[in-house]
Amino acid sequence: MKRTQTLWIPFQLLTYVLMLAALYAIFFFAPVEKTMGVIQKIFYIHVPAAFLAYLAFFITFMASILYLYRKDSKWDTVAHCAVETGVIFCTIVLITGPIWAKPVWNVWWTWDPRLTTTLILWFTYVAYLMLRRSVKENQRANLSAVFGIIGFINVPITFFSIRLWRTIHPVIITSRGINMSWPMKLSLLITFIAFCFLFFSVLISRIRLEQLKMRIEEINDTMDDMNIGLAQKLVKGI
Amino acid sequence: MDNSIYLFAAFSITWTVIFLYIFRLFRSQKALNSQINEIKKTLQENIEMKERHS
Repeated sequence: MKRTQTLWIPFQLLTYVLMLAALYAIFFFAPVEKTMGVIQKIFYIHVPAAFLAYLAFFITFMASILYLYRKDSKWDTVAHCAVETGVIFCTIVLITGPIWAKPVWNVWWTWDPRLTTTLILWFTYVAYLMLRRSVKENQRANLSAVFGIIGFINVPITFFSIRLWRTIHPVIITSRGINMSWPMKLSLLITFIAFCFLFFSVLISRIRLEQLKMRIEEINDTMDDMNIGLAQKLVKGI
Repeated sequence: MDNSIYLFAAFSITWTVIFLYIFRLFRSQKALNSQINEIKKTLQENIEMKERHS
């Protein structure tokens, strides 16, 4: 426990330094794209955010399977926190996408397969969070785990939508690799690593917070029982 | 074609979303800390009450 705490502060500091390096790479190192101009720099936050949203939902998928298999509440906590973090990153994708689309496609939104499937993905996991709030505590973990597994079907559909259907969304990763110049690739790599650190930093903080909340609830329940016991003892004493 | 305003908007909104979420986590942490203090206080009161009646 102590070792984890000792590693936690350097991890957070590294995240901070990497985020600054990412901003430097985006604005000072990456070249300006010839056709789109500076607006193309949105790419460096849009793509890592999309990938990390998929990763978050994959963590939820795995944690949900583990919860149903082992019935350990720890996996339910991981699944729930990963959804929350994933929704944040998916929101970033849905905000930066239309801002990029407006000057390039001349529309804020179009019902393109990639855009539509991403929106459905976002609604699916917002529904997951709403479901957790609306069901009874004894059913919450089981229902959420089933939802977390079924909801993941949307992730591969969203990822492959630009290959399966006719779309105006660009395909960056092809069978020949990433279709970009090397300074752009390097900038993307730096941004990607920085966003990964940010993602795990936020996710781990969220999980620790949820675990602490559960421990406090347990202590409160034990204290209520102790208070009843103490009151009974006092009554007997009188 | 200068699209700097779109670039500025995209980055500002992204960082606002991230900071708002981190701020929310920070507030939850603060609320849990005050609950811990409350528990400590109640425990102390219980110990004192037990000592008085023993």
